Amino acid sequence: MIRATNIVKYRGEARVLDGASIEVRKGQVAAMVGPSGGGKSTLLRCINGLEEFHEGEVAVGTLKLKGSEIPSRHTLLQLRHTVGMVFQQFNLFPHMTVLKNVMSGPVYALGKTTDEAETTAKKWLGRVGLAEKHDAKPGQLSGGQQQRVAIARALAVNPAAILFDEPTSALDPKMAAEVMRVIDDLADDEQLQVAMVIVSHDIAAVKRIADVVYLLEKGKVVYSGPAAEAFAPGGPASALE
Amino acid sequence: MNQRWLLVAFALLIGAPAFAQDKKELRWGTDPTGGGPYIYKDDPNGPYVGFEVEFAEYLAKKLGRTSKPVEAEWSTLPELLDKPRTGEKGIDIVLNGYEARDDLKQKYASTVPYYQYRLQLVARKDDDSITGWADLGPKKSRIGVLEASVAFDYCNKRYPGQVVPNKDVATMFNAVADKTHADVTVQDNPACVFYVADPKYKDKFKLVDDGRQPGAYLIYLRKDDKELLSALDTAIKEGLKDGTLRKIYQKYGIWNADQEWLCKELTGDFPPDDDAQVERTGRGGARSVWPLIPQLLRAAGMTIFLAIASFPLAMLAGVVIATGRVYGPVWVKIPLAVFVEVIRGTPLLLQLYFLFFILPKQFPVLAFDPIYIGILGLAINYAAYEAENYRAGIQSIPRGQLEAALALGMSPFTAIRTVIVPQAVRVVIPPVTNDFIALFKDTSVCSVILITELTRKYNELYNFNRDLVVELAFITAGLYLLMSYPLSVVARVLERRMGASAAGGHR
Repeated sequence: MIRATNIVKYRGEARVLDGASIEVRKGQVAAMVGPSGGGKSTLLRCINGLEEFHEGEVAVGTLKLKGSEIPSRHTLLQLRHTVGMVFQQFNLFPHMTVLKNVMSGPVYALGKTTDEAETTAKKWLGRVGLAEKHDAKPGQLSGGQQQRVAIARALAVNPAAILFDEPTSALDPKMAAEVMRVIDDLADDEQLQVAMVIVSHDIAAVKRIADVVYLLEKGKVVYSGPAAEAFAPGGPASALE
Repeated sequence: MNQRWLLVAFALLIGAPAFAQDKKELRWGTDPTGGGPYIYKDDPNGPYVGFEVEFAEYLAKKLGRTSKPVEAEWSTLPELLDKPRTGEKGIDIVLNGYEARDDLKQKYASTVPYYQYRLQLVARKDDDSITGWADLGPKKSRIGVLEASVAFDYCNKRYPGQVVPNKDVATMFNAVADKTHADVTVQDNPACVFYVADPKYKDKFKLVDDGRQPGAYLIYLRKDDKELLSALDTAIKEGLKDGTLRKIYQKYGIWNADQEWLCKELTGDFPPDDDAQVERTGRGGARSVWPLIPQLLRAAGMTIFLAIASFPLAMLAGVVIATGRVYGPVWVKIPLAVFVEVIRGTPLLLQLYFLFFILPKQFPVLAFDPIYIGILGLAINYAAYEAENYRAGIQSIPRGQLEAALALGMSPFTAIRTVIVPQAVRVVIPPVTNDFIALFKDTSVCSVILITELTRKYNELYNFNRDLVVELAFITAGLYLLMSYPLSVVARVLERRMGASAAGGHR
């Protein structure tokens, strides 16, 4: 379970997160929506320790990050093993093949053997529909395919949660749909049981896959509740459609 | 009784070979590039000859030692006395036309003079306008002199604005002969006698007027070498008195009345008369460049060794420095930035000089052989440049790459090692290859710390073989090209491969 409580973060004088809190349970899909600059991506990056925050607490299972404390190296690494992340710009490693990209987490982060990592990587590449692209370099793939590799890479470290930071924003509608289908598929997988947090402007997709919606404005969560209620006509997030 | 003799015989049997093996060397610092008649080569692949070579052999014999010349650049010879006596460049004495100088006498002990010289004016034989020192001022003659020499001081005071200084005696004589940079030259008279008599300059020069500003050549040694000093003084006096030095000096045509006077001053008596004809040595030099090529190739081997040994160290240090500068905390970043700026902002020559001559004075434990200092100096210097290359390479990698690696749970070190550095390497291949090629050429600076690499060897051969200067220059340049061109080719291949690989080529 992911619980972020009263997260406050400053950038210079600006209070970019102003006491934001979210909670996502195992197997649940949460969507963060809201206008640009509302703090959605920042909150996501605070959750897996890519950005520091100044007040509040992030708890993932038994691991905790506190705004008032500098986290230990061990805590930070454990947290990142537990929480995978998929970026808007994919951030695949261009010097590695697709297979090596997916193997990189198990090998370099978890210390798995190459054989173990390869088995895991092939499994996840198959799951995202790219089994035949093992030996390709990222530069040879379409944007949608690259993002699917990035999803496989995030899943290969066997995380308890995955954070999606605007995973389809850099893609055209066809490729975006391709990626959302994969996310949809993962969300429906009852065996997988990962908590998923997705930041997206693709409201149609969010409505389809999200169990719970958080509406962020000016660094605050101004609404949290079921997607159906949030996007219902006259609902708090209906203006975003 | 018999038993005692047997013991003595046994001791001699055991001791004699040991004694022969342990015969100490008299290690004398000299710069052969200065040329004749001090130290030079008749046969390009033969041993050194010259009046100082024979004088050193005489001294060594007197001391029960063997003579061992240790080559170094002339101006740095006294500083070798500050270094340990052992090691490749360790010396006991400096013996190479060093005059009596107050600054040196304060730091080092010096012997009695072994040669009395004067400044001699030399002009072209066909130049009738120069008939004596008095003509130099009115004729506004350009006077070629050796840098930082007594001749320089003497002429600069008397003929301001007319002095043309140069590091090299032979260059001055050539300039006069070819009517290029100088009209006359003023040198110590041994050099003048040597060049005027040289068959290569037949009928080119004339000695003009009398010598001026008499001075003396001394041997310098460590102040605490009192026993050696006393032995050398005695040997010089005896050599003058018994005519040994007369024979050596006559052989090179430099015996004159000043030496007779010197003998009288030091021993109270004139040397014995010796009118026996001594065959004067000429200067042969090589007739063709071919016999010199093996020497250039050996020196090129040293150049390659210096470059190949130092560059990997520079690359390794460069990666560490660059990583520290990009990702380290402030207390790491600041000293590394200072290091890079200091090293890039000061000449390599000065850095090598500091490492070899200055640092060991404060910390004798750091008195390593020149070859190690050369490698270390080049590595330190190039590490600063490599660090900047790598820093630029690292910073050219999008930040998202590091974030993606960290988000997977890699430690920062692993992320940099496996994700950032391999990508940065592709970016920096062209500048790094350029630096390696530049390093090949910069190895020539190591000659200042007494390493005989290609450029120093070229200088040495050039001094002894003036008529082969063009051939030697072409061969030397060709060797540098031969060493660096394959690197350029390899670099281009690597760039192409890496470029293709990053763009998405298959493994």
